[in-house]
Amino acid sequence: MNWIGAVSALAAFLGIWLGHVSVRKIEARSPTIWLPTLIALILGLALEAGALLSKSLYLSGALGILGMTVLFDALEFTRQEKRVKKGHAPANPENPRHANILASYPLATSVDWLARPPLGRPLSEEEIREIAREAGA
Amino acid sequence: MNWFGSVLGILTLLIIGLGFVWVIRGEYFLGYLWWPYILGLGILLVIGSLFLASIWGSALLGVLGASLVWGSTELKDQAVRAEIGWYPANSRPKPRPPFVEIIKQWPAPHL
Repeated sequence: MNWIGAVSALAAFLGIWLGHVSVRKIEARSPTIWLPTLIALILGLALEAGALLSKSLYLSGALGILGMTVLFDALEFTRQEKRVKKGHAPANPENPRHANILASYPLATSVDWLARPPLGRPLSEEEIREIAREAGA
Repeated sequence: MNWFGSVLGILTLLIIGLGFVWVIRGEYFLGYLWWPYILGLGILLVIGSLFLASIWGSALLGVLGASLVWGSTELKDQAVRAEIGWYPANSRPKPRPPFVEIIKQWPAPHL
């Protein structure tokens, strides 16, 4: 049995999952983008340093994968803010940075469009407006 | 210096990047109801990686399996994105997966 694939799979899945969830949560709450970006950059580089210095194949593989996903998360904070500006991710009115986005970008909204099951057909403009009304936006 | 992990990490980002593409295409042509099959295939690839003697082969197969598992959880969100109009929606009927009526009763996973 060769466990390097399973270890790599676990690191990749955890990296994607934690990145996916934490970027959205942190971006929604953080008053600045640069601070979480900087922290992710430092953490990602530290994980890569660990991967380079590790003699164990398993540890090097897991740290290398996690580090690269965290470095990608550093970019994702900016990409997530762009999604909020386009209305593709919900704005948090409690966050002053998001409140500014809500005031300056007409498409920005606090509606979480993805929090519903698919209907199996494209929605009409009227249905999309109705969802926004129900969400109170 | 052990470059294995960092190079594997970069290749992992490329495989995740492919995930963005196939999730969009897969939802467009097949529909999100195929998610249990994608999930199962991902798990099979991770199990298959246990039996590959090659370190790189096993590691990359494992990562590919993990990205299929992740992508299976993204299909539902992608279906909603297409229905809202953020992505082109396919007007042609989508192939129904085997046991579709059972799958419809399961909550589609999403991360």
